[in-house]
Amino acid sequence: MAILEVKDLQAGYGKVDVLFGVSFSLEPGQSLGIVGPNGAGKSTLMKAIAGEVALKSGSVHLQGSPISGKKPEDVVRLGLSLVPEGRQIFGGLTVTENLMLGLTGRRDKASSKQALDQVRGLFPVLNTHAEYQAGMLSGGQQQQLAIARALVADPKVLLLDEPSLGLAPTVIMDVFSKLKEIIALGTSVVIVEQRAHLVTAFAEKTLIIRAGKVQATLTPEDAKDEVALRRAYFGAGA
Amino acid sequence: MQAILDAISLGGTYALAALGLGLVFGVMRLVNFAHAELITISAYVMVVTNDLPLLISFLLASLVAALLAILTELAIYRRLRGTGPAIMLIASFGLSVGLQKSYELIFGALPRSAAVAPWMTGSFEFAGLNFTISSLVTVAITIAILLAMGYLVERTTLGLQLRAAATDFKTARLLGVRSNRLIGSAFAISGILASAVGFILVVENPQVDPMFGLNITILALVGIVIGGISSLRGAALGGFIVGFILSILNTFLGNARVYAYSYLFLAVVIILLVRPGGILSKRNEMERV
Repeated sequence: MAILEVKDLQAGYGKVDVLFGVSFSLEPGQSLGIVGPNGAGKSTLMKAIAGEVALKSGSVHLQGSPISGKKPEDVVRLGLSLVPEGRQIFGGLTVTENLMLGLTGRRDKASSKQALDQVRGLFPVLNTHAEYQAGMLSGGQQQQLAIARALVADPKVLLLDEPSLGLAPTVIMDVFSKLKEIIALGTSVVIVEQRAHLVTAFAEKTLIIRAGKVQATLTPEDAKDEVALRRAYFGAGA
Repeated sequence: MQAILDAISLGGTYALAALGLGLVFGVMRLVNFAHAELITISAYVMVVTNDLPLLISFLLASLVAALLAILTELAIYRRLRGTGPAIMLIASFGLSVGLQKSYELIFGALPRSAAVAPWMTGSFEFAGLNFTISSLVTVAITIAILLAMGYLVERTTLGLQLRAAATDFKTARLLGVRSNRLIGSAFAISGILASAVGFILVVENPQVDPMFGLNITILALVGIVIGGISSLRGAALGGFIVGFILSILNTFLGNARVYAYSYLFLAVVIILLVRPGGILSKRNEMERV
């Protein structure tokens, strides 16, 4: 059974539709990339799945149960966490306080300490900088904090919206290697990115979204063919 | 010395009023003008229940103010969430006027009075200086409440969620912070803070009319703007500064005290020219304001 199933999802803001019938499914422990140009609807798709943007039609199922129409605070309790675009860490709070906030959405509160220890093991910088104000961390460290904060809620599915945004190439590689470890631990991951090459090579399958629709599905093999990748990304005229 | 104590006492009272307003603003971006009516209803309750022991009377006033705050959130503000700050502001104006008129119907347009805690109106001498008991008690109450609020905000899970929601409510919800519960808690706490303000005011001035809480609420709003509208510490500090300055001006201006508000607002303008986002603002808060 798919851990996350999105069917004919249509969503937007007010009278403006952004997504027009997006469908995909994700198996347990699988990674899925979503790429596309600016304005394609990638972030809206993440927000719609996480309950931040209301669906106009279609459905989202998590572990077979419908989560469409649920509030974001309920969706995270059901096992789906979103690391939003721009990280959105609480810069005025300490690293520890940010992680404590992440525990809010955790169902099993008894094992909170183990969850904190686990993410601190995964991201040692959060241990050494525990009492730092989160706003004082570097961009890469903030991204690690944002991912760790989502992970302590013990999600079955982790959505990441542009995790490479504003990061140096070496830091991006660090972040993606951590994501590999997270997937190996059994969490399914959906990554939205503009860096098509990076994500296509990383994820087990990658959807190309343009104008609110899924235009193509790629595999890591496709990352080797630069021309085909560019054509899929920008359309047939590219 | 008494003038300084009075100024600290009034500053503390304004800080409590500003803190109540700041709490609700933090989670909803709502300037809740109807906070005035929470102060008023608690004063009315204390006047009406004056025959009961003071603690019971105060607890009843706190309960009524907290319930009224939650009711306004459930009945009006919750339905208007997401409509934009201007509509919420107008709604709070409307609610404020509506509640004033309701009080007029229930309690009458003329002031209702009763000597609440008459023992507080006395004075005593210490080291050759004269002190009023009410000022000392007010300072003690204010310090106790501010310490309790400091503990709540800095040391508890609810406080952490309030601070996070005040910074970025959307992200807080993504992490599991329950919006309705958090906003309801903020309104309830603001009602309890309003009842503390109502108690302090009704001891000083036992004439309660439907507009009893209006003046302090408007000045507390000025306080949270100069303190830093997005920060609870800023709100309390700004409220304190406004109350302190106003008390000092009233004491030292003598017959010219009619100009006290002019001087107060001149000070406010100067503070805002130097720190446009408020004394404790950070750059990102300034942009949001």
